[in-house]
Formats: sequence, C-alpha cells, structure tokens
Amino acid sequence: MALRTSAANTHKARRSLLWRLHIDVPLLVGLLALMVFSLLVVYSAGGESLALVKRQLIRFGAGLTVMLLLAQVAPRTLKEWAPLFFVVGIGFLLAVLFFGESSKGAQRWIDIGVRFQPSEIMKLAVPIMVAAYLADKALPPTFKHLLVSLVLVIMPTVLIMIQPDLGTSLLIAASGFFVIFFAGLRWRYILGALGVGLILAPIMWYFTMEEYQKGRVLTFLNPESDPLGSGYHIIQSQIAIGSGGIYGKGWLNGTQSQLEFLPERHTDFIFAVLGEEFGLIGIIILLALYFFVIWRGLYISLQGQDSFSRLLGAALTLTFFVYLFVNIGMVSGLLPVVGLPLPLISYGGTSIVTLMASFGILMSIQTHRRLHSA
Amino acid sequence: MLKQREAIKDVGRETSMFFVRCVIALIIVFGLMIFLLVREFKLQVIEHNKFQTQSENNRIRVQPVAPVRGLIYDQSGKLLAQNRSIFALEIVPEQVNDMQDTIARLREMFDISDEQVAKFLEQVKFRPKFNSYAIKTNLDEREVAVFSTSQHFFPGVSVEARLERYYPYAASLVHVLGRMGAITQDDLIRMDEKDVQQSKEIGTTRQRYAATSKMGKLGLERYYENELHGEVGSEKVETDVRGRVVRVLEREEPKAGKDIHLYLHLGLQRKITQLMKEKGVRGAVVAVEPSTGGVLAMVSQPAYDPNMFTGGISSKEYAKLLTPERPLYNRAVQGTYPPASTIKPHLAFLGLKDGVITPNTRVADPGWFSLPNNDHRYRDWKAWGHGATVGVMQAIVESCDTFFYDLSVRLGINNIHEGMTQFGFGQKTGIDIVEEKVGIMPSREWKKSARGEPWYNGDTVNIGIGQGFWTVTPLQLANATAVLANDGIRYNLQLAKEFAQDNVYEANTPVMAYHQIDTSDGSWLDLVKDSMKRVTEPPKGTAKTAFADAEYVAAGKTGTAQVRSIAQDEEYDATKIAEKFHDNALFIGYAPFEQPKIALAVMMENAGGGGSNAAPIAREILDYYLLEVLTINQAETAENQEETANGAAN
Repeated sequence: MALRTSAANTHKARRSLLWRLHIDVPLLVGLLALMVFSLLVVYSAGGESLALVKRQLIRFGAGLTVMLLLAQVAPRTLKEWAPLFFVVGIGFLLAVLFFGESSKGAQRWIDIGVRFQPSEIMKLAVPIMVAAYLADKALPPTFKHLLVSLVLVIMPTVLIMIQPDLGTSLLIAASGFFVIFFAGLRWRYILGALGVGLILAPIMWYFTMEEYQKGRVLTFLNPESDPLGSGYHIIQSQIAIGSGGIYGKGWLNGTQSQLEFLPERHTDFIFAVLGEEFGLIGIIILLALYFFVIWRGLYISLQGQDSFSRLLGAALTLTFFVYLFVNIGMVSGLLPVVGLPLPLISYGGTSIVTLMASFGILMSIQTHRRLHSA
Repeated sequence: MLKQREAIKDVGRETSMFFVRCVIALIIVFGLMIFLLVREFKLQVIEHNKFQTQSENNRIRVQPVAPVRGLIYDQSGKLLAQNRSIFALEIVPEQVNDMQDTIARLREMFDISDEQVAKFLEQVKFRPKFNSYAIKTNLDEREVAVFSTSQHFFPGVSVEARLERYYPYAASLVHVLGRMGAITQDDLIRMDEKDVQQSKEIGTTRQRYAATSKMGKLGLERYYENELHGEVGSEKVETDVRGRVVRVLEREEPKAGKDIHLYLHLGLQRKITQLMKEKGVRGAVVAVEPSTGGVLAMVSQPAYDPNMFTGGISSKEYAKLLTPERPLYNRAVQGTYPPASTIKPHLAFLGLKDGVITPNTRVADPGWFSLPNNDHRYRDWKAWGHGATVGVMQAIVESCDTFFYDLSVRLGINNIHEGMTQFGFGQKTGIDIVEEKVGIMPSREWKKSARGEPWYNGDTVNIGIGQGFWTVTPLQLANATAVLANDGIRYNLQLAKEFAQDNVYEANTPVMAYHQIDTSDGSWLDLVKDSMKRVTEPPKGTAKTAFADAEYVAAGKTGTAQVRSIAQDEEYDATKIAEKFHDNALFIGYAPFEQPKIALAVMMENAGGGGSNAAPIAREILDYYLLEVLTINQAETAENQEETANGAAN
C-alpha cells in the first residue's frame, strides 16, 4: 500500500503540470493525430482550399478549448448539474418544435442571440442525466429504475426524431442506452429489446419515417435502382474507395473525388476521399487511431472514481464509436445513408465541438480521480 | 425473489460487472472494426480491379460552362465593353503525363515566354486539374493552323475559342471601365471569405467561377463584378478514356451577366480625352449631371489600353507603363489635390449662412493678411491688393485671397470642417468605383491623430484659400460644384444608370441617396451663384477671356494651386523636381446658368494658372456638350414631340 502511494506520488510529481491542467496525455495525442489526418484530407477533398483548412483549424481550436474547459469541471459537479442541464435541453427541444427555424425541410435550429441546434446539447445531456440517475441506485438496476431511465432516453429521442433528424436521434438513443448497458442491464432484457425492435421496425417504417428516409433505406438495399439519385452517392463512394486499392492513389490524386463525382466529399463522404487517396493502409491507420482513442476512453472509465464517472465515461466512448461505425458503414455501402459526419475528420459541423466536449469529460474523470483519493 | 424497497449498493460486485462489460464492449468494438476492415478489404483488394475499371470508365463527367459577361453601354446605347472571341492554346493538366516535356515541346512551336509558363503553372496549382487553362492566348490564324496539324502529338492540349473582354475605345475609357485580370489564389481565398460572411456553404462562389479564368480587377469591371459575371452553367458529358468529350448528355445553360447602361456620354468622354491629349497635360476632368448625380464623363490622363491586359500582360510591357507620367494612376478618383480657390464660393456660402459675414461686409485689402499679434504676412496673389476694401462678390469674382483669409479665421476650423463636409469634402462621393479615395477635409481631430500636433490659426488661414492640409479628388470637386448648381441638393455620384437582363431594366437605386444643405435663405446661394456667373464675364472675371462670346451663360470659379508635391501620398517623381513646382490649374463650373445640365471640375497637374489653362478647356467641353450633344438631343426631342402632336391631331 505504501509502495503504491509513493509510486502515485512520484507519478503525480512528474506530470504535475499537465495533471493540474487536467489533461490526459495519451488521449490528447490520439485526438491531435486524428486532427492532423483530418486537415490533410480536408485540404484534398475541398479542392485544395487553404481557406477550408483554416476554418477547420479554427473549429479544432474551439473544440480543444471546450475540452480543456470541461476537463476542469469535476464529475461530482457535473452530476449535480445534470437535472438542470437535462430539463433546459428538453425545454429547448420543445421550443424548436414551436418556434424553431427550418432549413432544408427540417426544424432543428433555434435563435437566442446565437443560432444553435439544441439536439447538440442533448448528445451530452442525455448520457449525463441517465448516468446521474442510475449511479445512486444499486446496480444492476431494478425494473422500475430501468423504466425511468428508458423514459429519460426516449423523450428527447422522439423530440429529435420528429424534427426530423434521424442520425442525431439515433446517436442520442445509443448514448443513453450505453449508460444502461454499463449499469448492468440484464442480457435477457437486451435480447428482448432486440426482439421488440424487430417487431416495431415495420410500424416505424409506416408511421414515423419520412419519405426521404425510406428512400435512403430502399436505395441502400438496391443502389443500382437509382444510379443518378440517392444511389449515386453510394455507388460513387464505393468506386472511389475500391479504386484506391491497397496503397491508394496518393494525396491530392484521387481522380474520383477530384473529378467531382463524389458529392459532399469534404463533409459526410470524406471517408471515400481518404480511402481513394490513402488506400487500405490509410484506412487501417485511421481505424487504429480510432481504436486507440476508444481503448483509452474505456481504460479511463474503468478507473473512474464512482459509478457516475464510470457509466458516463464508458457511454461517451461507445457513442464515439457509433459515430464512426455508422459513417464508415454508410460510405462503404454497409448501412443506409444517414447524415452523420466522420468524427473529427469531416469538415465542419458542430459535431467537432460536441465530441471534444465529451473528451473533456473523459479527461476530467481521469484527472480528478487521484486528487480526491489523496 | 423478494421485492426490495431500496437495494444496497454492492461496490465490489458493481466494479467487477463494469469491468466485464467494458471488456465485452471493447471486444465488440474491435469485432465491428474488423468487420469494417473486411468490407474495405473486399472493396480495395478483392474487387479492386472492378472498381479501378469503373473509375477509369467513369465516363460521365459534369463540367462547368462559363456565362457570358454582361456588356457595358453609354447613355445612348454605344457599346463600351464587349466580348470578342479569340483563340487560345489550352491545356487540361490532368490529361498531360509529363507537363515539363509538353511545355518544352510547345515552346519549340510557339513563342511562349518564361513568364507565361510561370503564370500558367501558378494558375494550375490552385485550381481543379480537370479544367482547361490557357498557356498562350491571342493565337493568330497561322498559329492555329500549325497546331492543328500536330495536335495528335500533344494529348491534353488543344486550341479553344474563348470569349474575352474587348474595349473598342481602349485608353479613353480605361479609368472608368477598369479592366480584367486572371483569377489568382488571393481572389479564390476572398471568394471563400465572402461565402463565410454571407453564411453560404464554402465553395459556392468558387463554383460560380468554375469555368471562368478572368475577373474584374479595376473600375466598373471590379465594382460590378457580381452583376456582370452571371451564373455558371453545367454540361453532363460523356468522355473517352483520355477524358476527351465524346458527346454532351445534358446541359444546363449558363445565365449571362447583367448589362450595364451608364450615365456616361461617350462623345463627351472622347472629346475631353482629345482636348487633354492636345494640351499634353496630366490631370482629370469629371462632368456630372447635377439633377441626378450621374457621371457624364470621367477622364484621367494619361491613360493606357486595357486590351493589353486581356491575354495577360508581360512584365516587360507592364514596366513600360510605370513611367513618371503614371498612366495606371486614376487621377479622377485616386488623385488628391489642394482645391485652391475653387472652394471660395463654398466658403462664402458658409460665411453667409453662419452669419459671420453679410453681403455688405467689407474687408480691408492691402495685398496681404496677418493674424492679430503676429507679423507673418499671408500674401494675396495680387501684390497690391484688390482695392481699399473688398466685398464678398468681388472677392469671388476676382478670387481675392485676403478676403478669404479673413473669412476663414472668422469661421474657425470647426465650422469650416462641418460645413465643407456637407458639400462632400473628406468623404466618398459614393461613385461605383472601389478605388475611390477621400482626400483630407482637415479638422482639429484630424491633425491631432494624423500629425500629432495641435491646430494653429495659421492652418485655418491657409484653408481659406484651399491650400494647406486640405486635399480633394476631382470627383469631390465636381460633386461640390453640382451641389451649388442644384441649390444645395447633393446626390451620390454614379456611373451606372441601370442594369438590363433579358430586356428587363432595373434602375441603379443608390443614386437617389442625397444630402440637402440648408439653403433656407435663398439670397445666400443667389449671391454666390451670381458671383460665379460674373467669374465668366467681363470686366473682372478670372475666366472672362476663356468664356468670351459663349452662347450660353456659365458659372464658374478658377483655381491655381501652389504645389509642394503632387499629392502628399505620392513619391514617384524625384526626377521631375523642376516641373513639380509648377502650379496646378483648376476650374469648376456649370451651365447653363438658369437650368444647369452639366457641372464639371477640371484639374491639370503643373499646368499653371487656372484662368488661362483650365478654364479654356472647360469652355470647349461645355460648348461641345451644350451646343452639339444637347442640341442634337433637343432637336430629336422636338421632332418626337411634333410627331406625337401630329399623331394625336390625326
């Protein structure tokens, strides 16, 4: 015991500065590596526009700042504020429904001095709230606690689904569900839910999905049916990736992407540019970086001080994975097209800031730990 | 199982359960990543050949089609800027295997300078590789024929006919129309910044320029770039393996830019240019229509031929333009000069309005003026003075300096600054040219911040005769003249009168923005205008010789500016020290007196006295416009009216 304390002490002394800044070095290194990768690909995908790279750099700067700020907030504080955070978020979502601004057929924005998307807040508010709720209960949760948690997840999910924003509602549902999963949800419930889902799917299809969403799924099942419409994306991105081969065509040399066959090539479909120009090797490097970040996130969560930290940390980490899995899956033709960016690589979007905020929370979990136990 | 109201937390069990779940999650993550990798492996390794072929055979390509640039016309519909088709040697970088080799071989056939090569490579570097870029323009017929016989040796290279801007009146309009230039990397960045400012998706504006290689760089071409450019179209084309277009599948027509019709009168513009050339002077003349603020003519001499820039100017040719005469410099909008005596009418009006003088005020004129308790003498241009005492009207007609030294001290710099700002000095005239300068309408604050010195009374004395720190552009001077002609109403100056697209005409609105100077006691203005009328009349008017026997009544004011340097911010002509000390000749005026149709300002660098040099030119300009141009118009109008009347009678 004495040995461990002194080891911890020397440990603390050696990296005291970064520790006091609440920075987790391995996680930071992983994130920075992804950002560099992003700038390279955005430069190429954006038609070699330095202005685009500059704007992306500004977003990364903002993301890192938000991360640093959130890392200063102790998990305990976060937990205390969770209910308020959540209620305000729900309030904004309701406000969007009634007063929101529409763009491209969806009502997602609200203007209170600054224009923002409340669903973005909920990406953090939902897992924080569910974790705060379950952390005080005995785990695994009882049926009653389980029901309450599900309500906490489903309420915002439904509100976002009717905006409509399928991608985001899916992410939020997943983040809430992950908290419950890590809280020890029994396997039979999980299997049961999957069964219910299969039964509910056709009902959802007919009653809640918008035409364009149905179109995407149909196109996914048979992209050749609409080669110049929504199937175009999938076919073209697969050609781009496939023609990249093992080594890729080289940076700035992707003919598919440079020839503008690929739509949205610097945002949601940026993975295709990466696959074409950097080949399988580039993709392996990207996935390795992602895996490293996820491993570090789970490792930090495992060491979490209390149930709240552990549940939240692990759920945020897995949500990050959902992002990349869904995006790569859709660009490679494995999943229907939903509007989700490739995390930390795609150009633009508020997603960078939200993602970096969740990494800030992870850093807080990691660095507030030993300070308390000392 | 017993129902428990509150279960007890079992920390050890929770921790181990969490550990297990994390491991499971990590395994699932790893598994799904492998699943993704298997998919990419399938696409990139197993099916690589198939996709490789598909990528190469991706025959359908969308290519941008450039819109036709809007034309520019004068007020009577004469074409001032048109598009002419020329032949250019163009390269599609993507289709060239060895660019160095291709260029080297092309240079054996054609005369292509190092500079053209450098420019071409620079342009290609930052723009899509599948577009076509010119390495040499203005090919003649022989060159076109020579290339067509050996085209097959040059994959990716072709001779293309392109529309290029052409200015039929060349140098006489360059300082109005401006010119075009190649789109640079800086331009592209500016486009992106514009997208950001207008919260458009980045790349929107670039997309608009996808098929365009030139854009407006100066003058109207630059100011109205947005209107003139039009909207890009697109063509879905089928290409062969080399990327050559086999056939067009679909075409979305580009939308031509808007045409612009100017207030400008081509004849007047050319007449003024010719007069200034004959005199061989540097300078600027601006003529405006007082009732609208429309610019009838804007000449800056010397000038240059903007068509030289069309095919990309070489640095050798460009260097030729960098003479001490500075033809590139637009004196009408960028030149800032002391206004000298031309602003005496405005100061007199201000003195009357503010009540510091009356029509009966008389000032002793021994030929000089001095401030109380100071023996420095500010000299009048007439060494022995204009008489024992001088009144305001005589002071304007004979351009008496002593009177205005005295008046400026009575007004004080604060009043002068405020009053002259209302005439538009120290401000932009609103003219539709980006390069416009504002000159200096000095004030205490200005001197403090620009020079770090307090304002002295001596500074005010100099201001009284339009010297000292006060500088104006010829545009401002013409505008301030129009204000007098127009009884105090100041319009924004405008070159463009209306835009036309698909036969729909749309007026250029901002011209209506104006400022009304307080002229509630009309006698102030009448006195000033009357004095200006007498400037062009015997016995004492400073412009009486120039306006002798005029067939109309004109009002005017001469000015002769002492020049220390051509303008404070110019530094070029160290070689011309001697000439640099010659006075600038100025004249402002309007006519006809009762119903002014034209107001103008003439500014001639180092030409000598205003009365003997600038006023005669003004006379010829007014003669031309009032007696030749407007008479013709009137005849036409009269004819039309007669016809209408006859028609009605019948």
